[in-house]
Amino acid sequence: MVNGYAPQTLREALEIKRKEQVSPYGGGTDLMVDHHRTGTYLFLHRIAEMQEIKQDDNYLRLGAGCTFTEVQEHALTPPILKEAISRIAAPAIRNLGTIGGNIGNGSAKADSVLVFFALDAKLRLMDADGERIVPIHAFYKGRKALDLALDELIVEILLPRVIPTRYVYHKIGARAALAISRLSFAGLWNVEGGKITACSTAFGAIDQVVVRIPEVDKILIGTPVAELDSVKERYLAAAGEAINPIDGRISAHYRKTVCLNLLDDFVETMKKA
Amino acid sequence: MAEISGSVVKVDHGPKVRGEARFVADYPMEGILYGKTLRSDRARAKIQAINVPELPMGYVVADARDVPGKNGVLIIGDDTPVFAAETVEFVGDPIAMVAGPDEAEVERILREIEVEYEDLEPVLDMRKSEKVFYEYGYEKGEVDKAFAEADKVYEEILQTGHQEHGYLETQGITVVPLAGGKVKVHGSIQCPYYVRKALVLALGIEPGDIQVIQDVTGGGFGGKEDYPSMIGARVAVTALKAGKPVRVVYDRREDMATTSKRHPTYSVYKAAVKDGKVTAMDIDLLYNAGAYTTISMVVLQRGTICSNGVYNIPHMRAHGRSVKTNSVPNGAFRGFGAPQVFFAVEMFMAHIAKDLGVDPVAFKEAHFVKKGDKTSTNGIFHHGVPLPQMNEKLLTASDYWAKREAYASQPKGRYQRGIGMSYSFHGGGFTGTGERDIIKAVAALQKYPDGKVEILTSGTEMGQGLFTTFAKIVAKELDCPIDQIIVKLPDTDRVPDSGPTVASRSIMVVGELLRRAAAKIKAEWKDGEAQRVEERFQQPEWQIPFNYDTFQGDAYPTFSWGAHCVEIEVDTYTGEQKVIGAWACYDVGTPIDTTVVIGQMEGGFLQGIGYAHMEQMNYDKKGRIRSNSYSDYTMPTAADVPKMEMHLCVEEYPEGPFGAKGAGELPLVGVPGAYVNALEQAIDKDFCHIPVTMEDTLTHWREGGQA
Repeated sequence: MVNGYAPQTLREALEIKRKEQVSPYGGGTDLMVDHHRTGTYLFLHRIAEMQEIKQDDNYLRLGAGCTFTEVQEHALTPPILKEAISRIAAPAIRNLGTIGGNIGNGSAKADSVLVFFALDAKLRLMDADGERIVPIHAFYKGRKALDLALDELIVEILLPRVIPTRYVYHKIGARAALAISRLSFAGLWNVEGGKITACSTAFGAIDQVVVRIPEVDKILIGTPVAELDSVKERYLAAAGEAINPIDGRISAHYRKTVCLNLLDDFVETMKKA
Repeated sequence: MAEISGSVVKVDHGPKVRGEARFVADYPMEGILYGKTLRSDRARAKIQAINVPELPMGYVVADARDVPGKNGVLIIGDDTPVFAAETVEFVGDPIAMVAGPDEAEVERILREIEVEYEDLEPVLDMRKSEKVFYEYGYEKGEVDKAFAEADKVYEEILQTGHQEHGYLETQGITVVPLAGGKVKVHGSIQCPYYVRKALVLALGIEPGDIQVIQDVTGGGFGGKEDYPSMIGARVAVTALKAGKPVRVVYDRREDMATTSKRHPTYSVYKAAVKDGKVTAMDIDLLYNAGAYTTISMVVLQRGTICSNGVYNIPHMRAHGRSVKTNSVPNGAFRGFGAPQVFFAVEMFMAHIAKDLGVDPVAFKEAHFVKKGDKTSTNGIFHHGVPLPQMNEKLLTASDYWAKREAYASQPKGRYQRGIGMSYSFHGGGFTGTGERDIIKAVAALQKYPDGKVEILTSGTEMGQGLFTTFAKIVAKELDCPIDQIIVKLPDTDRVPDSGPTVASRSIMVVGELLRRAAAKIKAEWKDGEAQRVEERFQQPEWQIPFNYDTFQGDAYPTFSWGAHCVEIEVDTYTGEQKVIGAWACYDVGTPIDTTVVIGQMEGGFLQGIGYAHMEQMNYDKKGRIRSNSYSDYTMPTAADVPKMEMHLCVEEYPEGPFGAKGAGELPLVGVPGAYVNALEQAIDKDFCHIPVTMEDTLTHWREGGQA
C-alpha cells in the first residue's frame, strides 16, 4: 500500500509539506525501484504550475515538474540541455522522470544537473510562506546533501536568458542507453571579434557534487582564438590542479585523465570553430 | 536451403504475446506461502547459532535440521548443502528459509533472525586455493620433443572473468505438498528430471512421489540447469515443514548476487613454433569453481578438451584444474567452459602470428583442422569442416583485408579503428559417452484417435524455440500440418526422461529420436486409433568410445562451427569502445527454422560482445558481489546492438534430424577473440584478459601507446 497526497495546486502541496514529512514524488523513476515503500509521498504530477516552460526578461523558467521529454521537445530549451537529456536512460524513463526529481535526488551523476551547473542555473525554492532563489552550486552541499528545508519544494529551474551559443557535451556510460554516467562533461563558450568572450565547463560523476572550475575557465576568456595554443598548456595545468576526482566504480586516475583529455579536446574544438 | 528451414510462427507465440502464458510468479497466491531465504553475510565462517525470534501463527523457519533426507543437493556431487549446517562457504550461502502468508512479515522475520558466526579466513583468489575439486589431463604426440626442436617457444597467461546469465525471468519455484508424502514442484526450470533427482535425495522419498512440471520459463542460458535443484530442495523442505505450498521467486539483486555464473579462468598457454607453424602446445587451465562443485566437473572437461580451439596441433598436452574459492558456485552457462579457452587460444594464436609478422587470419587458417584430422583427444573429425568456406565468406562480407591494411597505417588521432576475426566450434551433446551411459534419452510420441500427435519429452522451452522446432521435425516426418502436433510444458508424471535441455543436444539428439519415432508411427499409422511409439538413444557405431581416465577418443560425435568478424572504433580520449561492424558465419547443419536459428546466432553473438568488454562482476575484499543490478552489471541494451550480419553454412550431420546439429551455445563461444583482436589493432596493444574495459583501454593509451 502506498500512502500519499496528490494535490492539484502548488499552494496545497506547500501546505501539506509544512504539516507533514512527505517525500516529493515527481516521475518516481528513482523512488519506484526503492524496496522500502514505507514513506508518505507527495505526488506532484497534477500540479500544472510546476510543468510550465516560459521565459521572462531575465530567465528561461523550467517547471521542476516537467518531464525530460517535455524539456527536450520544447522550442526554448538550449541545445546542450536537449543533447544531455537525449542520453538519459531510455525513452520510457524520460517520459516519466522530471528535471526537479533529477536535482532533488542529489546525485553528482544526474545528467541534467551537469548542464544546469555549466549554465549557472538558479533554483526557485518555495515553502508555504514564500520563496528564495539559490544558485545551483550553492544548493548542492555534498552528496545527497541539499540546501532544501523539510518544508520546501524545488519549483523552478532558472536559466540565464543569454547563454554561450557554442558547446561540447560528452557522456561516458557503461553502455549506449540505460547507463548511469561514469563521467560527463559540458563545456560552453562564445566567440566575438575573434576572441573567447565566455567559457564555462562542468564535470559530472567525478566527485560528490558536479565540479565547476570558473577560475580555470577564466584563463581562456579574452584569449584570441588564434592564440589559444599559447594558453592551452597553462589552462590544462590549472585544470589539472583544480580537478581531483574521487575513486568509485572507476578509478580516480581514469577520471582525471579523461577530464583532461576532454578539456584538451575542448580547446582544440574552440580552435576549429 | 532445405524445405524444413523455412520459418513458421512459433507455437508458443500466441499465449506469450497475448499475456496468457503463466510464469511461476503469475499463479494466484491464495493458500500459498511466500518463502524467503536467509543467507550468510560472511564468505567463510562457522555457524555458532541461529537465533530465531518468536514466530507468529502460520509462519515457519526451516533449516538444515529440517531436511528429511540427506542435507545435500544432488547435482553431480551432493556437497552443496540444502541449508548450510556447520559452516557457510560464500556470501549468500543459504542457511534457512522463512515462509508465511504475508510477504512483509516474512521479510521482518528474516531481518530479525540472528546468526552467530565464528569467522574463518576465506579464499577468494583461485590461484591461492589449495582445494582442487577436479583435475584432468591428457597428452597426444611427443610434446617435449616438439618443444626441444622448436625454432621459438611462446608463453602467455590469459584470463577471463565472470559472466551473469541475465535471463529476464529470475529464478522461481513453487512446491506443493500432496497427500501421502508426495510433492508437486513447478517453476522456472531447464531440467525437470534434475530437480526430481535432487529431491529424491533431499527428501528421502521415491522418484514416483515427486512430480516436477515446467512453468513457462523466461530464459535460462544454463542458469536454470543446476540452480532449480537447489531452490527446489530448499522450498520442498520448507513446504513439507509448513504443510502448505510455498513459493520462492528471487528478486533481481538476490538472483544476481547468489546464483551461478560463468567460471572465471586463469590459463597458461605455451607453444612451440617450427618453420612458421605451431607444432606443439602445453596448456594449463585453472577454473574458479566457487564454493561447491555443482557442475564444475563437466565444465572443466569441456574446457580442457577444447583448449586448442579449431587448430590442428599435432603434439599437445592439456591439464585442467577446477578449484574451490569462497564465492558463489559457478555453473552452467552457454558454452559451458569453452568460451574461456576459445578466448585464450584465439588471442594466443593471434599474438604468435603478430610476433612472426603474419596476419592472424592467414596464420590461423594455416592451422585449421579438417575432416579426418585427429582431435585433441585422438578422436576424429568424422564430418566435413567448412571453416575455409566460412572464413572466405566473412572476409568478403566484412572487406577484412582492405580494412585490416587501412587500419594498420591509420594516423594516430582521437578515434582509432580495428578489425579482428576468430573461429570456434562447439561439440553437440554431452561430453564423451555421456549420452549413452548417463542420459540414455527416451522420447515418445502419443497419437490420439483424432490423428493429433503429442510430443513427449522432457525438453523445455525457454525462449530458444524448442517447442516449435520439435513440432516442425515431427510434422515434417509425418507430412502433416504443424497444428496437428501437440507440445506441452514437460511434466515428469507424463513424459519420459529425454535428458536435460542443455549442451546443444536437444535438436541433434532428442530431435532425431522424435524424427525416428514419427517415421515409425507413420509406417504403423492406423486411422482412429491411439498409438504410442518410444525411441531410445543409440550411440553411432563409428563413434570412438571416450575414455574418461585417459581423455582419449571422440569427445563429441560432431561439431558445429563458427567464424566471427568484429570491427570497432575506440575513443582514445575516454577508452570508450564502439562496435561498428559485426559479421558471423555459423554452421549448425540444417537449420530446422531459419528465423529461430538466426535469432539464436544474433543473441549469442551479442552475449559474446558483452562478455568481451562490458560485463564486469567482481568481489570486494569480503567476497561480496557489488554488481548485483542491471545498472551496475551492464549488459548490452538494444541501443548497443551493432548491425549484425549473420550467415549460415550448412554441413549436414547424417545422424541429426534432416541434417541438423547443435546450435544453442555455438554463437557466443568464439566472439571475444574477434572483439579483442579488433581492439588490439585499433590501439596497437596486446590484451590477454576479458572483459577489456574502457579503463583498461585508456590506461594503455596514456602509458605508451600514443605516438
